[in-house]
Amino acid sequence: MKRRTLSLIAAAALALPLAGYHSAAAAQELRVLVHSSFELPKPLLAKFEADAGIKLSIIKGGDAGEMLNKLILTRAKPIADVVYGLDNTLVGKALAAGVLDAYGGPAARRVAVPPLADGVIPVDYGFVTLNYDKAWFAKSALPLPRTLEDLAQPAYRNLLVVQNPATSSPGNAFLLATVAGLGEEAAFDWWGRMRANGVKVAKGWSEAYYTEFSRNGGSRPLVVSYASSPAAEVHFSKEKIIAAPTASLFLKGGVFRQVEGVALVKGGGQRAAAAKFIEFMRSGPVQEALQTSMWMFPAEPRTARHAVMRHAVEPGIFDSLGPEVIADKGSGWIERWIRVVLK
Amino acid sequence: MVSARPRWQAALALGALPLAFLALMLIAPLVRLAAEAGPGASAAMLGAIWTDDYLRWRVLWSLLQAALTCIAALVFGVPIAWVLARFEFPGRAWVLRLLMLPFVVPTLVAALGVLALWGPRGLLGGWLGMDLQDTPWLLLYGNLFFNLCLVVRAATDALGQVSASRVAAARTLGATPWRAFWRVEWPAILPWLASALCLVFLYCFAGFGLALILGGQRYSTVEVEIYTLVAHELKLAEAGALALGMMLLTGAVALLYATIERRLATPARADPIALRRPSGAGQWCAVGAALFALLFFCAAPLLAILARALGAGAAAWSALLDEESLQALWNTTRFTAAALLLATALGVTHALVARRSVWLRAAAFLPFVVSPVTVALGLLLLYPQWSATLLLLVSAYALLAYPFVAKSLGAALDSLPENLLQAARTLGATPWRAFWRVTLPLVQPALRRGMAFAAATALGEFAVTLFLSRPEWATLTTLIYQRLGRPGAANRDGALVLAALLMLLALLAFMLIEGRSRRGAGRDRQRDEPALKGVPHA
Repeated sequence: MKRRTLSLIAAAALALPLAGYHSAAAAQELRVLVHSSFELPKPLLAKFEADAGIKLSIIKGGDAGEMLNKLILTRAKPIADVVYGLDNTLVGKALAAGVLDAYGGPAARRVAVPPLADGVIPVDYGFVTLNYDKAWFAKSALPLPRTLEDLAQPAYRNLLVVQNPATSSPGNAFLLATVAGLGEEAAFDWWGRMRANGVKVAKGWSEAYYTEFSRNGGSRPLVVSYASSPAAEVHFSKEKIIAAPTASLFLKGGVFRQVEGVALVKGGGQRAAAAKFIEFMRSGPVQEALQTSMWMFPAEPRTARHAVMRHAVEPGIFDSLGPEVIADKGSGWIERWIRVVLK
Repeated sequence: MVSARPRWQAALALGALPLAFLALMLIAPLVRLAAEAGPGASAAMLGAIWTDDYLRWRVLWSLLQAALTCIAALVFGVPIAWVLARFEFPGRAWVLRLLMLPFVVPTLVAALGVLALWGPRGLLGGWLGMDLQDTPWLLLYGNLFFNLCLVVRAATDALGQVSASRVAAARTLGATPWRAFWRVEWPAILPWLASALCLVFLYCFAGFGLALILGGQRYSTVEVEIYTLVAHELKLAEAGALALGMMLLTGAVALLYATIERRLATPARADPIALRRPSGAGQWCAVGAALFALLFFCAAPLLAILARALGAGAAAWSALLDEESLQALWNTTRFTAAALLLATALGVTHALVARRSVWLRAAAFLPFVVSPVTVALGLLLLYPQWSATLLLLVSAYALLAYPFVAKSLGAALDSLPENLLQAARTLGATPWRAFWRVTLPLVQPALRRGMAFAAATALGEFAVTLFLSRPEWATLTTLIYQRLGRPGAANRDGALVLAALLMLLALLAFMLIEGRSRRGAGRDRQRDEPALKGVPHA
């Protein structure tokens, strides 16, 4: 019995990983490097492959920061032809490292809602901002904070959870927002007082949202998340609900606009196919689909908004920094943040 | 090849597989990354670690929490194991199997389970009116949740190896049960315990783990520091120095352990103590207490996850039938099977060649000792053309899983009675035949235990996501993290349901690996005895 079981496992194990591996090698293969949050409906990708005669080989490279570092490390022998998911916090670093080639096709000449950087095509944008648990604030007598300064007051002690900017891209974006909105010195002064006032630091978005946020059984009613999160809460609710259980809180110095783009990888091949893919990312179907698959706003103006996105309020004011400034000073700010908040 | 004097050619041929694998998958990537950082840069940074208060504090804290976990695991684990190894009670086989489930559950899901119990609005935390979140207690609890099973399983198997006649002799000579345990059983199980505790220490010291989520960033380990430096800031020299420092430190632990293990290795006789039904209130109380401790530390968070998954409703469960989930189930199954096969081959050969060498014994810990993120980036630099292939992915799984097979088998080989093998050889059996007919049946329970842990590692492994991956390779674990990567109750419920499925799959795998009616080491021994009949006792 035992030996038979083992040999069965052995035979299966030998056969399984290889099954279906050599299925399609005939079509032209385009290697697309994406971050771990990349998601588009499978039929949409399949239709693109059929129409363009291209076989997509999608490679996930971790979160956007990890992905860029992998691209930089392998620049001598690139692992992809085209890359999607570099945002305005990373594109400066990518350009400085010389891992991208400029793209000048039709999509580059069309106006995008937010611009990104020369030669990098904006695909979508979103806002990193505070979210709050509506039920928590309804139950407590505490009014919503009106400024970041309020959060540093004793009344708001132990209420906020943020992500570590060194390990999380929304965490980094929020740090950048505070620097852009308050000024560098005032921002780090605020972070120092937030430390004293019990700000909690989680490793990533999932840890913050699912183990610390009061909506999910944690103790913090305020969390750094996205302006689209309330819409996702409605979309992924268990029962049909008409109002989101969470809402965005737009405070001065607490909102960062993030713009994600697609770009050619320097040294990559398949330029014609890569161009088709870049145009595809800015096409109507993708721009519509990404709203509820990646929970971002479409960069192409006049794209129809998905109905559920009415729960995702776009802030009137927000903070942004130029890609060059971020490339230049970003890692220094992270180091300083670690000193001020963690050490 | 496992006779008293191994022939060097045979040993070399055997050792070629695991050593070449370690060289290609682990040493070479590290060297490559060090070269990228610039020679000498890492060495210069090494001194800087100790002068940085913050980093020194992190290292000391990591050491302390690992040591505390080891002590706690020993204090709770050995009595529990003794009860499991000596008493027969209904459901015992299932307890042994269920014991390994914490190993399979993704860290974030485990944290959800722990917080459902102990969090500010948790079942027990709310009831007792205390918030344990952010305290070292919850951290220790999390560490025990993951690691108690390692100690209990190892000690249970070890106690199953203790010679019944020696214990009987001690008792006849007037030793109290306590004294018999202390003078006969304890020395016999010590090498096995040392092996398990070493694993626990390394896991707690180096691991990403639950500690981070439960304790917040203040308690993060050095590995997180390395991860930050390499994956985000691309400061290879600093990260390399930290990784090297960690490797030296943990390497010293592994070497120390290997030395102890070799010195303590004592061939045992194959006359296991028979399991007996508990008699009297005292013994039933012992069984009850052991089960309660397991329930408290290991089962409760899992039950919390299961309860929430069951409460998720039909919609969440029917989502298991969508294409994405089925694909993930299939991927998890085939990757685990392939990784298990490779891990078993590597583990068995490594254990066999490492019998006489302290260095090779310690080398089996290398995959636990090096930081996964540095290996991942080193591999990417070294083999860019292989970077997103299944071969590399499965090798990475096997790399992280095979030490379990090697360690478990190594301990069993140490306690193998030499005279049986000598008898077989004297009677004309070839080394291969002696291995197949004598050694293998005798070490089979340990091999199966190692394989079960290896399978559990492969099923729940998340570190491989540090490597390049493809959407079509999504496993249950990656799908769980994907679900927990976006807001919404349906996503959370979906993740919990997938976690329940993962546990079920793991149980199935354990049943397959450990045999149809596994009743613990003692029983296995008795069942395996007919296999020995062909070999007359010397």
